[in-house]
Parts: sequence; C-alpha cells; structure tokens
Amino acid sequence: MRSKISAVVLGLLLVAALSWSAEAGAPAKVVIGHPVCLSGKFAKEGSQASWGIKACIKWINEVHGGVKIAGKRVPLEYKFYDSESKKEVVTSLIERLVRIDKVHGIIAPYSSGLTITGAPVAERYRAIYMSHGGASNRIFQQGYRYAVQILSPATLYQAGTLDMLHKVDPGARRIALAFEDGEFARMVMRGAEEHAKGLGYKIVFKRTYPKKVTDLTPLLSDLRAAKPDIILGGGHFQDGQLFARQMADLDINVKALSLIVAVTLPAFYDALGAKAEGLIGPAQWEFGVKYNPAEAKKLGLEWFGPTNEEFVKLAMEFSGGKRPDYHAAEAGAAPLVFVKAVEEAGSLDPDKIREAFGKLHLMTFFGEFKIDPDTGLQVGHSMVVVQWQGGKKVIVWPPAAATGKLYYPMPTFAEKAKGKKAIPK
Amino acid sequence: MTRGATKYLPLLPVYLIYLVLFLVAEGMPGMWQLMAMLVFYCAVGQAFNIFLGMTGYVNFGYVAFLALGTYGMALSIYHFHQLPLGVGIVLLGLLLAVVMAVLLALMVGAVALRLGGAYFAIATIGVNEGFRYLIEGTKIWGGSEGIIFSKQLLDTFGREVANKLSTFWADVSVLIIAALAALITLHFIRGKTGYALMALREDEEAAKVMGINVTKYKLIAFVTSAALAGLIGAMAWGLKLTYVFPPEAFDISYTVEGIIIVMLGGAGTLLGPVVGGLLYGLAKYWLTVILPGFQLLIFAPIIIVVVVAFPEGIVGMLRQRLKGTPFEPFVL
Amino acid sequence: MTWEQLGGNLIQGLILGGVYGMATMGLSLIFGVLRVVNVGHGAFVMVGAFVAFWLFTALGLTPIAAIPAALVVGMALGFLFFYSVMRRLVGAPELTSLLATFAMGIILEEVVKLIFGTEFRGYNWDVGKMDLSVTVLPLAKLYAFIGSVAIAALLYFWFNRTRAGTAVRSVVEDSEGARVCGVNVGWVYALSFALGIGLTVTSGVLLTMFIPVGINPYMGGVYTLKAFVIAVLGGLASPYGAFFAGVIFGLIENGSYSLFALVPGLEPFAMTRFLSFAILLLILLIRPTGLLGTK
Repeated sequence: MRSKISAVVLGLLLVAALSWSAEAGAPAKVVIGHPVCLSGKFAKEGSQASWGIKACIKWINEVHGGVKIAGKRVPLEYKFYDSESKKEVVTSLIERLVRIDKVHGIIAPYSSGLTITGAPVAERYRAIYMSHGGASNRIFQQGYRYAVQILSPATLYQAGTLDMLHKVDPGARRIALAFEDGEFARMVMRGAEEHAKGLGYKIVFKRTYPKKVTDLTPLLSDLRAAKPDIILGGGHFQDGQLFARQMADLDINVKALSLIVAVTLPAFYDALGAKAEGLIGPAQWEFGVKYNPAEAKKLGLEWFGPTNEEFVKLAMEFSGGKRPDYHAAEAGAAPLVFVKAVEEAGSLDPDKIREAFGKLHLMTFFGEFKIDPDTGLQVGHSMVVVQWQGGKKVIVWPPAAATGKLYYPMPTFAEKAKGKKAIPK
Repeated sequence: MTRGATKYLPLLPVYLIYLVLFLVAEGMPGMWQLMAMLVFYCAVGQAFNIFLGMTGYVNFGYVAFLALGTYGMALSIYHFHQLPLGVGIVLLGLLLAVVMAVLLALMVGAVALRLGGAYFAIATIGVNEGFRYLIEGTKIWGGSEGIIFSKQLLDTFGREVANKLSTFWADVSVLIIAALAALITLHFIRGKTGYALMALREDEEAAKVMGINVTKYKLIAFVTSAALAGLIGAMAWGLKLTYVFPPEAFDISYTVEGIIIVMLGGAGTLLGPVVGGLLYGLAKYWLTVILPGFQLLIFAPIIIVVVVAFPEGIVGMLRQRLKGTPFEPFVL
Repeated sequence: MTWEQLGGNLIQGLILGGVYGMATMGLSLIFGVLRVVNVGHGAFVMVGAFVAFWLFTALGLTPIAAIPAALVVGMALGFLFFYSVMRRLVGAPELTSLLATFAMGIILEEVVKLIFGTEFRGYNWDVGKMDLSVTVLPLAKLYAFIGSVAIAALLYFWFNRTRAGTAVRSVVEDSEGARVCGVNVGWVYALSFALGIGLTVTSGVLLTMFIPVGINPYMGGVYTLKAFVIAVLGGLASPYGAFFAGVIFGLIENGSYSLFALVPGLEPFAMTRFLSFAILLLILLIRPTGLLGTK
C-alpha cells in the first residue's frame, strides 16, 4: 500500500516535473523573420511573398492550432521588415531579426543575389535560412549549413517543358535558346541545354540579351534565320513581354515558345492580349494545380497545410483581392515546412531543425518538398508547365498535375490576330 | 599646444564618432550589422568627398571603383585560394582591388578630367555602364553570372574563421579604411592639394592663370578617391558578401547615395561625410522599419529641400555658427 | 549573318533611332538653356508611357491622340517642377542640380507606383504591318517614327519662326546679351524647362508605340542612359543634334549587333551596349562638342 502510494506520488511528481520542464522548454511563440522586398526592384515578388506567408501562418494558427512543440501548441508569428531589395539593408535586418526580435527561422529575401547576401549572417547566428526566391543552384554549392531551398532550382526550370515537347512531337528537333544575360537565366539556359541534348535535340541558336533590354529586334531576326521549331527563352517580366511582342511584330512563328517567369503572370496576357495565346512557360506553382491530399496519398506522402483553394482564399485576404501567383506560393510553403520541421525536431535548436529538414518528405499545396540533406538543395519539388488557352492559364504538364491538354503547335501570330484561340478540341 | 597637434584636432570628432559606433556594435546585441551599414555609408561618403567635395566635379561612375575593388577581392579568393597564403589571400585581394581601381582611375582621369562638369558627369556614367557591359559581353570574370566565392572562403579558412572574416573583420576593415580616409582628407585640406583644389573650385580658369597645375591636383584627388573606393568595395562587398554579380556591383544608385551623403553633410568638409553617412544610414534604416515601402517617397523631397535650402550641408552650416567659439578648431 | 539580316536590322534601327532622337531632344533643350543635366529624364519618359497606356485602356484613345495629351501633362509637370525647385537651381553647381533632378525622378516614380502599382503593363494598338521582305514593320512603329520627325520639324519651326522660340534661342547663345536686349530670361527658363519636359513626356508615348509592353514605374532608367549617350553624340546642348544623333545611335546599335554576332565567344547584345558607351567616351575625348557640334 505504502509503496503503491509512494509510486503514485512519485509518478505524480514525475509528471509534474516533466510538465514543468516542458513548460520551461516550450516557448510562448515561434517567430519567423523575413527581410522582405516591399520596395525597390523586387517589390512585386516581395509583396506576393508576404501575402503567401501571411496566409500560411494564419492557417497554422487557426486551422492547425499553432506550432506543436514540447507538448504544447504555441502561436506562429511573422516578423518582417522592408529590405528595399538592397544588400546593405538585408544583412542588418537579418541580424536585427535574429538578435533583437529573436526569430527562430528566417525566410530569405527574393532573388539569388540577396539570398547569398544574407547567408553569411544567417550562418553566423545559426539561423535556419529558407530560400523561396533564390533558385540558383550555386547557393547550395557553397557549403552553407542552415540554408534550405523551397523552390525548384534553376537548372530544372525547362526540364518538364522539354520532356513534354519531346513526347508530343518527337519530329521537332531544332531548338533555339535566347535567355536574359544574368545569373538566374543563364543557369536555366545551361540546365535546358543539357536536358535538350540528353533528349537528342539540336541546338540551332544560343544567345543572350542584356537585362532591361528595350529592343530585341536584332536578336530575333538572327533567331528567325536559324529556323527553330522550338524556342526556349526569357528571364524576367519585362523582357518576356518584349520577347513575345516583338516575335509578333516580326511575325516569327514556331511550334512552341516557352518563356520563363513572364508567361506565368496574369499581367502577361493583360499586356499582350491574343498574342499570348498558346505560349507556354514553366511555373513553380499555378492556381488550380492538382496537388491535394489524395494525390499525396497515392504517392505515399504526408500532406500538410491548406489545400490550394484554401491557400488562395487566405492569401486574397491579405492581398486586397489580388490573386496570389507562384511567388506567393513558394514563399507560403516556407512557414509550412518550417513548422513541420520544428514539430519533427521537437525543439527550436537550429541544428535539430536542420536535421529534421533533411529527413522531411511531404506534400503541400506547393507540391513535394524534399531537400538534399547535405546541401539543402531542393530535389523533391517539380515545375509545372502552363499554357495560355483562350485567355486562361491551363496546366499542361506534368500529367499528374495537369488540368488540360497542350495545344500544339502554337497558332501563328497572323492566325491569332484573326482571333484564333489556342484551345484544344 | 603646438601647431602640429592643432592640425589634427578636427580628426577628434570624426574618430570619436567611429569609436562610439564600434562600442555600440560590440556592446549591444543585434547592432553590429546596422553599425556596419552606417560605417559603410560614412566610408563611401568620405572616399567620395575627397574628389567630389573638394573639386566640385561629379563622378557619376563612382560605383565602378567599388565594383572593381569587389572584383579584386573575388578574383583573389576565387582563383588563388589554393596557394598557401593564409590570410595573405585577403591582403592580395586588397592589393588587387587598389591596383585595378587606380588603373581605371588613371585611364578615366586622362580622358575625362579635361572636360567640364556636366560632360564629366556623363562621361563617368559611360565608364560605369561600359565597363559592366564589357564584362558581360566578353564573359571575363564570370561574365554576367559573376563570381560566388563563399565556398572557396570556407575551404581556405574553415567555417569559424570564414564566418568571422565575413561578419566581423570585413566590417572592422571598413572602419579602418574610413579612419584612413579621414586622415587623408585632413592632409589634403590642410596641404597644398587642398589649396589648389579650393582655388580650382572657386574659379578653374583663374587657378590655371595663377600657375596651378589644375589637372595634376584633380588627378591626385580622383585617384585617391578611387583607391579608397576600391578598398571599401573589396571589404564591404567582397569579403563581407562573398559574391559579386555585375548588375549589382555597377548599380548606379550607390553613386547617388554617395552624392546625397556628401551633400547632406557638407561637401569638402572633413566631418561632413561622416555626419551625412550617419544621418542617411539611420534615416534609411528607421524608415525601413517603421514605414516599409514609402522610404523613397519621403527621401526624395527631403533631398530637394536640402540641396535647395542648405547647399553647404550640415557641417558647412555648423562651421559658420561655430566661428570664433572654442569649438572652431574641432570642426572642419 | 546575311545582307538581308543586316538590312532588316538597319531599317529597324533607323526607325527606333528616330524615336530615340526625339526622346533626347527635351534633355538637350533643358541643358542648352539651363545648363542642367536632367538625371530624372527617364522618369518623365515613363510618365508619357503611362499617359499612352491609360488613355488607351481606360478611354480607348489611340496613342496618336495621346501625343497632345502627353505634351500638356509634361508641360504642366515642367512648370510645376520649375517654379517649385528648378528656379532656385539655375546657375547652381552641377552637384546640386544633378541631385535635385534625380530626386524629382524618384518622386514621379513613387507617385506613379502608388497609383498604378509595379505591374508591367502593355496595350495592343494593332494597325497592320508592312512586309519589307528583309524585315516586317508594324505600322505603329512607322507612325512613331513619323511622329518623331514631325515633332522635331515643328520644334525647328518654333525656334526659328516664332518670337518665343527666338527668345529661347538667344538665351542659349548668350543669356546676358539676351537680358540686355530685353528678353525676359526668367520666363525663357521656365518655358524651356516646361517644353523640355513636355517633349520628354511626349516621347514616352512614341516609345510605347514602338514597344507597347513593359510599362512600369521604374522603366525609365534605361532611357536616361541612352539619352545621355545620344545627347553627347549630338553635342549635348542642341536639340536637333540630339535628333540626328538618335538616328545614328539606332543604326549603330542595331548594325553593330550583326557584326558582333560574327565574333565567336562574344555576347553580341552586351557588346552593342559596350560599344555605345565606348563611342560616348571617344566623342568626349576627341570632340566634346559632339559629332554634329559646331564649335
């Protein structure tokens, strides 16, 4: 009897002690910091990113019930400052976030350059550093210990497009590459070239054009002379619009035209109208993409986070009604996988979180997440290919995510001017 | 007090400011990077001031010298990291930075310093843009993809030391460069160069008539300013950020920031660029924190008011006020 | 490269060069009269692009109709900035005026950003194409060229045949002398600045006729740089010099592309940019008054 009582007392004490230590171990909240680019040259991407992040944090707190850590659920907070897309500001804001705001993880600013800028500071203070807009593979070849990539790396941007075209029309062999002259687009071009050669394509044209180009005519007239079947190109927003517009002006017609970044934005169709019909482009994510809990189950993966519809609805609460694009999605995925890693690690120790990140393999509304445990490079996520069909973006690849079929070959610009739409029968 | 000592009195407030910045950075958690940013702006202002402030010529391609300095450090670490130099590789980077910046300055100086003010400003923009496109067009130094050398830094020094170099020593070096720039500025203002340049700024033709070798002194100021910029670039952008991409390195907005700092503080003064750098950096930082997205809209009208209403800058005004007071010898 | 490609490139370069030239006239006029380099030049070009975009998409007006509208908007902006800021900066050191005009540009960019956001926009004014066998020329581009030439000609007429124009010209040549002869120099400054800005904003409309996409608050920077090169080529203080220099610039930019493309290992496009700045320096080295300068 006595021993029974003492056992109960001991047990109670143990529970009390455990819960006390859990009390001490559990923080009042988990905070994610972000030197977001709300002004300057990445203002667009930065604003989108902030909507996506806010949406997913709201989901974590209201639907998921907060971050589960040390037996408790604590709220997730978002602390951000505008880094003006400038490197000096990025380093000081990251330090402020870590040292003064005591954040537990950092979402890197947009672009590969700014991501690298902040990396040494994040490394120094041992902060998990999630890249949502740094697609360059080179970031993850530097040996950073806490860097984690959320989005697909640049070298894989055009892989899906090439696979798709190869399957649809094995007879079209001549490929032209015309990308922006910059670190990101060149990385995409290199990946595309290798992948195309692997599929047996013939590269008939390979040139670049400078950033902020205002007239592509000389390049395009050389390109026309190379008589390609397929053109892969692009870089960012402005040059992509220019590329398509001047293709139309010069009446250059090919079977498929894929431009990175620009094509995937609604502004592309707004600016070009019918000229955009049938153009394709790779996207990190797209509204309506089929990733869902059932799809995850099929692949034997865990599903985490809001569904696509939920995400869009939440993001629009923060965007003032604007529809989120993939910049919002790739950034929104960051807090989701971060929370998952923290919960798996059961701790806020950055080394433990990073270790948990290395083991994570799951699916969110953004797609699969799996990194190379050593470098942090994203290896699980895959790009989708979208096509403008009758003024709507349709996901045409990969088959698992597709919402429609590819219209091929692209209508000529003359046909488009007469009102022909790239809608498959 | 001897005359030799009074000569150096104006350095006191400058170095005091730097000391305070360093102590705050060391003592308060989370302040290091902010202080580093302030020191960077002060250093840029000082280096810029030596030419712009003292001659009145606007070097709109100033950032090209920062960029070349960055490339100097990047090339040294990227290409020579396997040599058994140890920290010597950083010194080699600095050397390369200075040599490249000085060479470019000599070339540009030979062409552009003969020109009048507006032409000079445009010519230097041309140098900046032209150099960038030369790198991209000929694909030297990594072309448009630039150089990332984090890995080489890690491999050479190991994680601890590499991190310390990027997040501590690079910033300390900028502080030292800034202190050096102050010394040089004082030496120039109080020496023959200063008098010659002052005469030049007042009336270039008259200075020529007086027998002053105008071009020589302009070139001295120009090359000195460029060399300091090279050093700053090597440390603040090179060693600190561990990469260089041409469009960022040649970004003209840094030139404009430099001009704003010099104007705000007081062109041609010793203390001016330091005050300007502090104010500009702090304003930028706090606006970033409290009013994200609206900084530029607030800044631009302030710039106009400053240049229109207070063309002599804060320190310029202060000097007028302090004339005849015991503080006069400290403010220059 | 074939001769057809070179020919096509040169035709396109000529057309674009004319628009570039017109886009530089305002800069040169302002420098000629006030001796101020307008570093905010590109921001005014951007305003013109938005005028064209907005009139087309919101009111359905063609860019041709946008030209007078842009001139009015531009001159209003010009007077506003002159009487609020520039008036105090005439004769000030370069440093001051460069910084002030740069700040004006920022204000414009940020205000337009508040109104229109940072989206890249475009409009579709399709009025047919001409097939020249070596290249295809959309008529909108041709109209932009014709518009540029017409505006340059009107300006010439204004300078030489009207009282106001003659007054401006006399100030360019000798502001003290003009004052003595009873010219209201203050008014000439205001008028020239406003007209310079008006022309620049108008050129924004013409540029969108050539390139009707990528319209964004920050699109102007590129045009500032191009305008500097062209202005120096044309002698910096001469609006007509600027116009012809623009045509030459367009031809060089497009023509040299075909030549650089022949050299293996080079990126021809970046090299054309390098070439334009190399020419800038060369001109300044051997003939600072510009290719077409008189002195």
